Amino acid sequence: MPKLVITPEHQIQRLNQILNKVSELQGMPLETVTKAPSPKSWNILEVLEHLSIAIDLYTPKIEQAFSEVTPSDTGSWSFKVRPWQRFVIEGQRPKGKKRPFKMKTLKRFEPLLDPETLDAQKRSAVFERFLHSYQDLKAHIVSSRTKQMRHRPFSSAIGPIVKFYLPEAFEFLLCHAERHMVQIDEILVSQT
Amino acid sequence: MDVAHSDRLKSFFKGVAFSEQQEAFFLKPWKVYTFSQSELITQAGNIERRFYVVVAGVQALYLLNKNGEKVVLGFSYPGSPSGVFDSFIDQKPSDTFLEALKPTILLGISRSDYLSLFENHPDFHKWGHLFFREILFGRLFREVELLTLSAKERYVTFMNRCPEELKVIPQKYLASYLNMKPETFSRLRRSVQY
Repeated sequence: MPKLVITPEHQIQRLNQILNKVSELQGMPLETVTKAPSPKSWNILEVLEHLSIAIDLYTPKIEQAFSEVTPSDTGSWSFKVRPWQRFVIEGQRPKGKKRPFKMKTLKRFEPLLDPETLDAQKRSAVFERFLHSYQDLKAHIVSSRTKQMRHRPFSSAIGPIVKFYLPEAFEFLLCHAERHMVQIDEILVSQT
Repeated sequence: MDVAHSDRLKSFFKGVAFSEQQEAFFLKPWKVYTFSQSELITQAGNIERRFYVVVAGVQALYLLNKNGEKVVLGFSYPGSPSGVFDSFIDQKPSDTFLEALKPTILLGISRSDYLSLFENHPDFHKWGHLFFREILFGRLFREVELLTLSAKERYVTFMNRCPEELKVIPQKYLASYLNMKPETFSRLRRSVQY
């Protein structure tokens, strides 16, 4: 597997694309965002809620790591991802418009939304939670640009089998979100 | 707005003659924005909200190639315009970043206020004609230099032309702007007199 060198600017650009896309989804009719392609699949709101659940598990870990880092005066970082973390990250990253390594969602990451009762108020809450969480992530990435990425690595949301430094965690969360943006595209195509 | 800033703006918009009333109208919408070193002024994926005139500092305009590496398109420095102009005009998400390479002070104006200058004062159209001509010629010269000059010639041409402020920014930005590797830039800096 080729080396993976990541930078905050690349992450910010991709995160802005995700935020712009979700802002567009926010303006779509309720039916569009609550209609799933099949009874066993998620609708768009469920996908977004899943992403909010996932990121919220990382927020306290990210904040803890931030309390350990020190300022840098050498410009923004670039970070070479370690091999095992690279494998985990690449497992999430979509390949073009495809989602490789499809996996079953763990119970704790499942969106507990009842598709039958989703109304305009719940839709607003889902979008607000998502946008708030991912704007926070962006603020953390932007803030990290002037810090040295030296801190105790922290466990991922699936446990200590995968430990991340901040740049790796940012990349993992981004690839995970990008993967689900592909899923949202598939849901939208299924409705045409 | 203090006198130095208003003089900076009037000097930037040279060729525009103001009555006292027009000058007050012109100066009113401009605000001072400060950025620390390395701060992103505009992010790729966001819409550029302002047109800037630089008071202090150096800023780099760059985009990311498919490997996520920075490709520097240009710099701004005291007395020059700054901002992501295509995004500012079209109000579409920017493809480029604007970063403060040194502590930066900018005078900025919103798009609606910028357009109102043109609507309310015909001299701005003359200024705009000259401004865009200068920008176009600058881009054409740069394209010719990139396509026809060797790395050493590009280095010498640039170092002879560029303001002193640009000579102290990190070499990797200058190397990228001149389309050469940082190692090549470093070797030229050591060995070539200009």
